[in-house]
Amino acid sequence: MAPLIVNDIISQNTNFFLAFLIGMGFGFILESSGFSSSRKLVGVFYGYDTVVLKVFFTAAITAMLGLLFLSLFNWIDLDMVYINPTYLYSTIAGGIIMGAGFILGGFCPGTSFCAASIGKIDAMFFIAGMFLGVFIFAEGYPLWEGFYKAKFMGIPTLSQVLGLKDGIVVLGIIIVALGMFWVGEWAESCFPREEY
Amino acid sequence: MKPRLYLALIIIPLGMIMAAIPQNTTHPYKLTPDELLEHVNSGMQYFSPDEIADMIINKDPSLLLIDVRGEDEYEVFHLPGAINIPMSALLEDQWKDYLNQDIRLNVFYSNSTVNANQAWMLTMQLGYENNYVLQGGLNYWVETIMNPAPPEATSPNEEIAKYNFRKGAGMALGGGTAVDMSASGQPAPELPKIAPRPKKKRVQGGC
Repeated sequence: MAPLIVNDIISQNTNFFLAFLIGMGFGFILESSGFSSSRKLVGVFYGYDTVVLKVFFTAAITAMLGLLFLSLFNWIDLDMVYINPTYLYSTIAGGIIMGAGFILGGFCPGTSFCAASIGKIDAMFFIAGMFLGVFIFAEGYPLWEGFYKAKFMGIPTLSQVLGLKDGIVVLGIIIVALGMFWVGEWAESCFPREEY
Repeated sequence: MKPRLYLALIIIPLGMIMAAIPQNTTHPYKLTPDELLEHVNSGMQYFSPDEIADMIINKDPSLLLIDVRGEDEYEVFHLPGAINIPMSALLEDQWKDYLNQDIRLNVFYSNSTVNANQAWMLTMQLGYENNYVLQGGLNYWVETIMNPAPPEATSPNEEIAKYNFRKGAGMALGGGTAVDMSASGQPAPELPKIAPRPKKKRVQGGC
């Protein structure tokens, strides 16, 4: 019965080992599908390549359907699955900072390590910048602690906020995602680029 | 056909299935028989009458005594501050917030320990924490707290101190010689207010 680590089915060390294997697999797939190219990644903001949007939405839908079906078969207890607590203002601010960094640097945190490991110098600078940001955040924590913890909302899920059944929300997200894929491909045909 | 169409053909039906079927809200059992046996053998679920008497006298706010006997027996005699959840009503929704919580110390008791242990085992299997059992039940309570047997004059000092505590506790809790009079006629206490908890604690972690 998953989750494995919470229910003492596997030990902490086994957990780390599995995480290591999964992480390597994740990095390999990212690199082999071209996610270590910052030009490909920022394409989603200029409209000439929306593969990022498609990949991450497909991943979200796969995970969503997988978790709900596993829960349906009693193979996983969804109440034990970790959900990030929501602090509304810092989430919005974090999203803006993350998005701006994505456009400026051309990487998101995971893909920057992926690109650095194949020797891309801009990715190494990106990682250095990330650590600098972490350092500034940690050292200046007293300055923004109030803002960081403002508007705590617990751990709401979309279905709880909307007051709908999980399944209805899932179907809605699938339809929205497919609509976005269609918009993405339309954008790709509108703003094509030869070489990138 | 484009890949997007293949994808749509797979995920839209899956999403429709998900939307159509009722949500699974059951929580699987958390303890294997081996783990339960280990708990039972360790005897960790017991609180001794002395510990409970001490908490009652000190008006420990975290203690909640739960009488799992029938209502008529509860009316005749119950421990001070105890609430009545008959075994037959244990799994009713109205008691869920009392049993599934992490603030109070719930102690089940019945005449012996059989029913209290059954209640404890059920709540364990439901994954509820902080539920315990009064060791020996009410019969042992009456024997030790209400009518403690005086120790031999040659007993060690600890025995005599224990006897003195029990005698004092018995008197404070209305015991002494007249056991049957002890707590009868005392009105049932108000149910303590318990705010419903949002959900079970999640384990820390994340991406």
